Amino acid sequence: MLAVQLLLNALSLGAAYALVALGFVLVLNATTAVNFAHGESVVAGGFAAVLLATLLPTDIGIPGLILLPGILVITAALGLAIGALAYLPIRNRPPVSVFVTTIAVGMIVANGLNATFGAAPRTAPPLIGVGTIDMIGVSISRQSIAIIVTACVLIGGLAIVLQRTQLGRQFRACAQDPEMARAVGIRLTRITLLSFALGTAFAGAAGLLLAHQFFISPADGAPLILKAYIAVVIGGWGSLRGAAIGAFLIAAFEVGVAAISSQPLAEGLLYGIVLLVLFVRPQGLFGEPQQVRA
Amino acid sequence: MNSRKTLIIFAGGGLAIYALFFASSYDQRLLTLSGVYVILVLGYQFIFGHAGALSLAQGAFFGVGAYTSGILGSLHGVEFLLTFPLSIAVAAAIAALVSIPVLRLQTHYFALATLALSQLLLLIAVNWEPVTGGANGLSGVPPVTLLGWQLSRGLPLLSFVWIIAGLAMLISYWQINAARKAAFTVMRETPLATAAFGIDSSILRFQAFILSAAFGGAAGALFVHTNRVVSPETLGFGVMITCLTMTVVGGRFGILGAVIGALLLTHLPEWFRDLQEYYLVAVGALLLVTVVFAPNGIEGLMPMGRPTQKLSTKPATDKTVEDVAKRGSELIATNVSKRYGGVQALNSVSLRIQPGEIVGVIGPNGAGKTTLANILTGSASSDAGSVTLAGRDITRAPAHQIARQGLTRTFQTPQLPENLSVRDIIETAQSEFSTANTDEILRQFNLLTFADMPCGTIAHGIRRRVEVCRAVAARPGTLVLDEPGAGLSPEEQNEIGALCKALAGAGLAILLIDHNVEFLRPFATRIVCMKSGRIIADGSPEETLANPDVRDAYFGVTTL
Repeated sequence: MLAVQLLLNALSLGAAYALVALGFVLVLNATTAVNFAHGESVVAGGFAAVLLATLLPTDIGIPGLILLPGILVITAALGLAIGALAYLPIRNRPPVSVFVTTIAVGMIVANGLNATFGAAPRTAPPLIGVGTIDMIGVSISRQSIAIIVTACVLIGGLAIVLQRTQLGRQFRACAQDPEMARAVGIRLTRITLLSFALGTAFAGAAGLLLAHQFFISPADGAPLILKAYIAVVIGGWGSLRGAAIGAFLIAAFEVGVAAISSQPLAEGLLYGIVLLVLFVRPQGLFGEPQQVRA
Repeated sequence: MNSRKTLIIFAGGGLAIYALFFASSYDQRLLTLSGVYVILVLGYQFIFGHAGALSLAQGAFFGVGAYTSGILGSLHGVEFLLTFPLSIAVAAAIAALVSIPVLRLQTHYFALATLALSQLLLLIAVNWEPVTGGANGLSGVPPVTLLGWQLSRGLPLLSFVWIIAGLAMLISYWQINAARKAAFTVMRETPLATAAFGIDSSILRFQAFILSAAFGGAAGALFVHTNRVVSPETLGFGVMITCLTMTVVGGRFGILGAVIGALLLTHLPEWFRDLQEYYLVAVGALLLVTVVFAPNGIEGLMPMGRPTQKLSTKPATDKTVEDVAKRGSELIATNVSKRYGGVQALNSVSLRIQPGEIVGVIGPNGAGKTTLANILTGSASSDAGSVTLAGRDITRAPAHQIARQGLTRTFQTPQLPENLSVRDIIETAQSEFSTANTDEILRQFNLLTFADMPCGTIAHGIRRRVEVCRAVAARPGTLVLDEPGAGLSPEEQNEIGALCKALAGAGLAILLIDHNVEFLRPFATRIVCMKSGRIIADGSPEETLANPDVRDAYFGVTTL
């Protein structure tokens, strides 16, 4: 009973984390730069959900899921802005520069939200309703199921785009060798901006999924970017599949440890373990050591 | 005295007069806070500016200092004279502890690990309530007392904080002397070349990290005595971002930049008062705009004081290249093998280069030439086999030690930081155990005219010559030159050839990799040909070039 509950919790949290991590890798692959504003993009998605929900009539209980398209559009626009303002002007500078500019964007987003909505945690409407449904004797939260299904649809859609379409082929080409991709006529700038839009929209969707059960506050960006980051380190730098697996592992760890102790301890242990892992394997768990040609 | 210095003195004097006679108690508080941040930023410049590593733990070190002083002061009544050094020590100790796993990490992994460290410390501060006071923190931190004399807020505390800030400036000035600065630049911008010239980057990074933590701890300690309260906010990401913004906006490298950044960012809320809560949005925008349009911050926009010309006034001696380089030592590789994934890059290669010899290495692309150079110089490690230099085993020695034992190299693509002058580059290669005079060696290489030009502005052929000059400036016994003639005109190639001849004449052992047989033939003592990781010929130029296997492998011509 409890085990099934925990598994479901882990799966739903992992599904949301997977969206965050996948968005992070999409941008990473397009730019080889780390988008530090990614955590704040999740927060932005959560607050977009809070804001859009106020436009809905409250009395008839319209499901939060219908906010998803709006949130995707808003956060995709945010992603375009990040790409255009914080990445493109300095794309030829050392990677640390992009780190700093995206930290700046994250700061703008977090403090803008803080000034507008206040620092207190907010909650977004549930995706399809609250309460539980009984299945084979186990009561299952509707929200958990909805999170898992929504995330699976989005991830499945991404997989189809990347594997089956010309656009996806261009994405993959740019990720593997941007210079070569450009040489065969792929418009690198356009793909880069699209990656920012898509990656940030994924973060925004995760914001909607997380913001009901776990609440969302403007300062939540740092732990979220850290978890996306850790998922990518576990799964291998640049690997989409690895990032998703990493996200589920982190969620399972968090839910499992929190069940026997407390949430802060779970998080603290996670960060401690990351430091240990990096001590043993500085290149990440499955990552290849990078060779610089002399 | 130049205009920059005059400006600084007037601005500093003006500020002091303002603080003493015109500042309200609120203004004095802001100035005190600025002094605290000057210390924090000066520390951050070591790791973020000079070492070029994006640490996200500077705010955490600040918080550690704050909590150390806060807990000892408010709960146990320990005196400032004891808590202050302890705050510094605890921050530095945590940095030393995590430096073992963290400092080996490159760019983003380093940022990730330092962020994880800060989040970990923040969680501890919030959740370890009996000691830290939890989310509310601890109030009642005592004021600074020095030998029974209590420093009240306002001018006394303000002066004290700025005296400590002045000490921090002195330490920073003393730590980042010209030679250190150049070594950091080489490490930051051309990591490949760092070890090859005897610079131990792990030591440099370690020192930078510890110093940044110590400064952070000191700033945090002073901060709680100013605020009299310690709370999780002192450990939060906010402090980190404030520090980052001050450093980027003011300038990453100089004391002046730290002062400008700290003063500006502490006073900005006053000037942006109309924005109210949106003020931090404006600060974020400022950070973004600065990185894009003024990458070196406000300090970088100010008129530079002319770099002091160090051209020596000594009359030119009649020393020659031969006199500059003197030791010669034999380099022997025995059965060296190296595999990269599925590629056997080197397959049991044995090679011997004696003093006075110029050994040319030719071979098609992918033959393993550069891999050989990397293994001989310690830039890569071999899977099997051994390398000795002057009879000493250097197979497992790190590159910087090999360089110090007298084996230096050049790189296929010149590894020269764009903003360092030719003179600075040559000086980074010289250490206390090589005494060649910079002007002398620049003259030998016909580089005196370019001495004070940044490497980014000089022509390709001259950059090649600078690379060779740097390798020779370290006073090596053995030189490994990786395609020094690539992309040069025949005249420039002849110059390099003549230089090599002179150096070999002085007793150096030289290994020279190149594609161009015609370039090597006139001056090489021996020519070695490699193919698919093996040596297929080793002999005089005539012998090797006449070898049918070489003609087949290298020219793609099958002999009849």
